[in-house]
Amino acid sequence: MPADRPPIDPRGPRFGAGVTAVLLLVDLFLALTGAGVAAVVLLAAICAVFAWGAFAGIGRHPYGALFRRFVRPRLAPPAELEEAAPPTFAQGVGFVITLLGVVAGLLGATGLLAVLAALAFVAAFLNSVFGYCLGCRAYVLLLRARIIRPA
Amino acid sequence: MSPVAALALLAALVLLATAVGLVQRARAGRLRSASGTVTAADLGVDAPLGARASLVQFSTPTCAQCPGTARLLSGLAADHPGVVHLEVDLTRHPDVADRFGVLQTPTTLLVDAGRAVRARIGGAPRRDALEHELRTVLGGPDAR
Repeated sequence: MPADRPPIDPRGPRFGAGVTAVLLLVDLFLALTGAGVAAVVLLAAICAVFAWGAFAGIGRHPYGALFRRFVRPRLAPPAELEEAAPPTFAQGVGFVITLLGVVAGLLGATGLLAVLAALAFVAAFLNSVFGYCLGCRAYVLLLRARIIRPA
Repeated sequence: MSPVAALALLAALVLLATAVGLVQRARAGRLRSASGTVTAADLGVDAPLGARASLVQFSTPTCAQCPGTARLLSGLAADHPGVVHLEVDLTRHPDVADRFGVLQTPTTLLVDAGRAVRARIGGAPRRDALEHELRTVLGGPDAR
């Protein structure tokens, strides 16, 4: 993923994470109440949006476009801009977790889908409400496990 | 599972995530006591440590709070002569992450003139607490 992307308003990804967190809660409700097919379809849609953010970059994220069109005009200018690389990486983490959830759902393991959707929800919720990046923490652990190799 | 039970489970999940977030927010940026010594070779950097103190920052490219922390620490270094801010990219030096047991970025070490680690901060540092400790370190052991 290229690193030379323009900086962004940090509130954009937090707004997007809020939308994602609500959708993941709905998905979890569907999975828990036996609507397994609907849960797989919704999680696949969430996964596709994560893929968009991860591969096209956070600056072209559809929720980011919503944020710029409807939310940002109502807010004061941001105190500071943020690099695009961290939230783009976070989108990649969300993509992998929800993709595993979709695969689990397609194999009929709705329980595993629910666990992965819950994990993704916690990460999105912490990002949106507290500005805390669970994926960034995972990055350091992956680095130390040498799963991510030195550049 | 009945819809009521499912909603109860979702509420419990939201509460759990909120608790995790509150604990994390209370712990982030606090100074913790630390021990050990640091040399420039340990950090894999060419730049020398500060004559009076050093603010050593461990960063990763995917870390949202690292650029802001770098501005804070380089500002502190500029305000205090003999203090140097050193930023180490752990992606290029994973062995440094192992040596110092780094579990999150940014992690900051406050190192004194004798190369001893005096404090350690996980997350974005709280400026007032860090500056207070930095002044203590610069004042020497008698100022404690």
